[in-house]
Amino acid sequence: MSLFSRFMDGWRKYRKPGYYDEFDYHWTMTIDLDKCTGCEACVTACQAENNIPVVGEDEMAKGREMQWIRIERYWEGEYPNAKLSFIPMMCQHCDAAPCETVCPVGATYHNQDGLNAQIYNRCIGTRACAVYCPYEVRYFNYYDHEWDSPLEQQLNPDVTVRGKGVMEKCTFCIQRIRQAKDVAKDDDRRRVQDGEMQPACVQTCPTKALVFGDRKDHESQVYKSMNDPRNYRVLDELNTDSSVFYLKKVDA
Amino acid sequence: MPNIDRREFLKLVGAGGVSVGAGFMLREANKDPREYLIPHVLAPEDFSSGLDTFYNSVCSMCPAGCGISVRTREGRAKKIEGNPAHPVSQGRLCTLGQAGLQALYNPDRLTAPMRRTGEGESASFEEITWEQGLKQVGDRLDLLRAARRGNRVAFLTQGVRGHLAQLFESFMRQLGSPRLLHYDFDHPHTLYAANQQFFGESRLPYYDLANTRLLLSFGADYLNNWISPVHHSLGFGESRQGRADVRGRFVQIEPRMSISGAAADEWIPAKPGTEGILALGLAHHIVAEGNYSGADLGAWTNALADYTPDAVAEQTGVPVNTITRLADSFVDTTPSLAIGGGAAGNHSNGVDTLVAVNALNYLVGNIGQEGGLVLNPEPAGPAVQQHRASYSAMVELAEAARQGEIDILIISGTNPVFTLPPAAEFAEALAQIPLVVSLSSFLDETTALADVILPSHTYLESWGDDFPEPGVGFSVGAVSQPVVSPLYNTRGTGDIILDLARRMGSSSVMPWQNMEEFLKYGWRRIYQRGDSQTLAQGFDAFWTSVLKAGAWGETTNGSTAFTLNPDVIAGIGVAPPEFSGSEEGYPFILHPYLSPNFHDGRGANLPWMQELPDPMTSVVYGSWVEVNPVTAEEMGLSEGDLVDIQSPHGQLRVPVFVYPAIMPNVIAIPIGQGHGEYGRYAKGRGVNPIEILSPLLEPITGNLASSATRVNLTPTGGRVKLVKTGGVSRDLGRDIVQHTSLGVEVSSAADNSIPITEVTT
Amino acid sequence: MNVSIVPALKVLRPAAMLVIVILVGLVLGYWANATFVPGNSPEQPIAFSHKIHAGDNEVPCLYCHTQARRSPSAGVPAVSKCVGCHLEVATEKPQIRLLMSYWENREPIPWIKVHDLPDFVHFTHKRHVLANIECQTCHGPVETMDRITVSSRAVNGSAQVGHPWKMGLCLSCHRENEVVNGIDCLTCHK
Repeated sequence: MSLFSRFMDGWRKYRKPGYYDEFDYHWTMTIDLDKCTGCEACVTACQAENNIPVVGEDEMAKGREMQWIRIERYWEGEYPNAKLSFIPMMCQHCDAAPCETVCPVGATYHNQDGLNAQIYNRCIGTRACAVYCPYEVRYFNYYDHEWDSPLEQQLNPDVTVRGKGVMEKCTFCIQRIRQAKDVAKDDDRRRVQDGEMQPACVQTCPTKALVFGDRKDHESQVYKSMNDPRNYRVLDELNTDSSVFYLKKVDA
Repeated sequence: MPNIDRREFLKLVGAGGVSVGAGFMLREANKDPREYLIPHVLAPEDFSSGLDTFYNSVCSMCPAGCGISVRTREGRAKKIEGNPAHPVSQGRLCTLGQAGLQALYNPDRLTAPMRRTGEGESASFEEITWEQGLKQVGDRLDLLRAARRGNRVAFLTQGVRGHLAQLFESFMRQLGSPRLLHYDFDHPHTLYAANQQFFGESRLPYYDLANTRLLLSFGADYLNNWISPVHHSLGFGESRQGRADVRGRFVQIEPRMSISGAAADEWIPAKPGTEGILALGLAHHIVAEGNYSGADLGAWTNALADYTPDAVAEQTGVPVNTITRLADSFVDTTPSLAIGGGAAGNHSNGVDTLVAVNALNYLVGNIGQEGGLVLNPEPAGPAVQQHRASYSAMVELAEAARQGEIDILIISGTNPVFTLPPAAEFAEALAQIPLVVSLSSFLDETTALADVILPSHTYLESWGDDFPEPGVGFSVGAVSQPVVSPLYNTRGTGDIILDLARRMGSSSVMPWQNMEEFLKYGWRRIYQRGDSQTLAQGFDAFWTSVLKAGAWGETTNGSTAFTLNPDVIAGIGVAPPEFSGSEEGYPFILHPYLSPNFHDGRGANLPWMQELPDPMTSVVYGSWVEVNPVTAEEMGLSEGDLVDIQSPHGQLRVPVFVYPAIMPNVIAIPIGQGHGEYGRYAKGRGVNPIEILSPLLEPITGNLASSATRVNLTPTGGRVKLVKTGGVSRDLGRDIVQHTSLGVEVSSAADNSIPITEVTT
Repeated sequence: MNVSIVPALKVLRPAAMLVIVILVGLVLGYWANATFVPGNSPEQPIAFSHKIHAGDNEVPCLYCHTQARRSPSAGVPAVSKCVGCHLEVATEKPQIRLLMSYWENREPIPWIKVHDLPDFVHFTHKRHVLANIECQTCHGPVETMDRITVSSRAVNGSAQVGHPWKMGLCLSCHRENEVVNGIDCLTCHK
């Protein structure tokens, strides 16, 4: 194939959402809303793991929060029958992601593990992806962030510290996936086993509401969980084909 | 070729030369700054650059004592996880525990010993050496001890267990001083007293949430900050959706919906302080319906006679059919469990309330049963409880100080100037003590009033141990080890005390050089409890294995048999709660609650916790007062309106948050903000509701009835924008959170255990 | 009436020539720096010569850079590693005396980092060493260097000196050897 046709072939595949016929791994998360208590342990764990900056009160007032996973709260009813439900929301790693289609420079794309990747170097900060994302899970760095010394000693060396002008979002802790694959490769080139690797949020959840794994492994906990009769996907009617399944909250 | 004259030519050449130089330097300047590779001088064994080393330890961010596993890279702590081998945390950890890294690397840490200079307005701290600081304090201690006036020394610490607690005991015994107080705002005094009264036990029992099918919680916010939130969250998750055929049901009874209330299947608002009456109402119905057939039935019938559903409905505001329905389901569902605490225990009738909750458990026979309440065995190590100081003990201490009876006060890890209401006049009392020594790691409100500061390591730099309370049904212990080298010129609390002990001539009784040595000495006794296999390996191997695992356990068969003392039954009864102030002048009841982010204020200096949206309201960086929607409408209040809250003992100004799940005559303010000191993130932010609490007490324990203050609310006309991440917080038909009713097949999630990576000491 | 622009141009000509000269000068200076200033070859605190150690004495790379086989970072040897030999070897040489003074004062030698990848790159020595890739492939003919310079043997085998590593170096090798997920951005970009 000529250079040009090779380029066009790659470009076509790259720009079409859901183009993988066969994923290598297909990382999936399930969240049991009947177990989530809204404690926000996952939020702080993610902050610690992924070098997420603290933006300060003024930026928060402008709505520029920086939390790759957030807890949303939905009240229903009125006193004395008011009820509150919590739902953790992070990048859904949609197999038909709207954000991937719009990036003019291709900084976000779908990789062979089913992850929606965000490459900070390529990002030029148009913020179109954040507009296209129906879940509003993309966060923009409006400033170069600072850490009051010695808080920067806590930063995770396996994760980039993002500068001004790039978009960031949940990566399903790609650094942990990478490390798990490294360990697996040492061990006779096998695949990563179920439970060997958890994103920070899943690892810390005190009620075990979050479950993570490879849905191609039919023995995995996440496969069983995503096929639970209670499962659904948020805003599924938009056909984003998200990789995060929620288990309905039970009214009893 | 254009004509260029010489002047122009030279100008161009000059400009060209300069720009060549400029271009050269431009590239030079844009090169990456020089970095260095600093090797070790002697390569240590457990170090690999680029690889993680995990150390197991114990979290100290709240009193629960969860085991943690800390990931370090090149000597720096990077991430805290729960330790999978520790029975309390089982690999999981709460939000405050995760933020422990910011306590270690906090920019406002005290870095060296200090001494106060100057007086009043011009007072400041100057840095001194350890020798100077220890000598100053040690000499005074020695003098007092020699003169047999050691009882003029008081020691005020946060609630600690394990060998550090034992060290404090020994220290004070050497001085001959009874004034050892463990003071925490959130210590459940009434719960302990109720347990003592009902079970004759000085330890808390194990509440087996994981295996229960129905949990009735009378005010206990078990998912948030009631005694052991991570363990209870594990139990909640397991009970709800961890078993194939059964889904646990959770009922929460409280005047303001807490996190546990949001997670509950049913939230029942009961008038503040009447939770115990409600419990007895349930008990009455259980007995009256003939659902209890113990030998002491007659005694129960007598004791519960007055608590008819109608009478109870009148007092609590809970409808009669709810009372009977709850009672029936509590009996019909097996196993069921009742717990109580939180605000319900912080009323004038707190102990009686929690005894009533225990009575419910007794009547359905779940004591010692799976899914019920299991009495804990004796802990393997020191788990000293008798010095836990209630509010009245602190007031006594303050009075003693005012009377000039105290020469030295040593404070370690507790902040009473913040967590005691001004009515206790504690700050003023401190001024009467000639030498106040603080061992805190931060310049909090209490430490700011100290004369000498001997700063301690944070828990991630310290040696220690813990025997968690409540236990988990069997004996558990864990050693807390340093995960990083100390950052600053600080020392371990235990090391400081041992040094002071040496200086006052007690080295023969307390001969250990440092805390690590003392721990090993203490754990030798635990080692000797082991079986022949454990003993065969030798103590050093045992010690290494305990550090490596991060937990030690021993299956002991606790007794399941329990006989209730008949006198207890006769004493059962809950008086209506007392409140400060009259209903006319102060129409609202103030419900202060421990904030999930800050606990009792200790987390306010952590930027992650300031930026973490409050789980229920999503507000960040501030304080608010929660007001019922109907009340708000009647008073013309909307979100952000500044109101003055006035109690008989103080006044605050705070913005309103319209809260859908709080009783109309109750208002709630989270505890944790409103610091006057404590670092850049905490200082001058929000309000501290403890400041306006009235000094009403629970008579048996002397516990502060912190939920018993009446207040009034006055709009000021001012407004602020409440900074929050949530918007309207209603689903608005988007179906984001979907529900289903029971009857749909529930999942059988298998145990999601985390494999532990290579752990080294 | 015909108005010519020639007079205007005549006036502008000196200014235009100045601008052109300046621009050309900047570009020339930049290029000169790029071509003639060696990429990264700083003078180290001790004039350690890889040529003597790895070249003449054939000390294997992994003898000192022990972590390369098990860690993302190859590691710089501790001072004790040098002292291990130099307590006896060539002790009279001035650089060795300098080394021993560091050792006696228990002071680490502050090496200047030559091979510095940006922070957003995840590179793991372990995987490459275990894939039997010669160190010289990326680091160039180290055994001929008295002073370390950024260089690589790269794909076509000839040493390329003076150019700092670029993404193309990694990508060309990953492509040629058809590394699994080798050209996925997330493999290298953190």
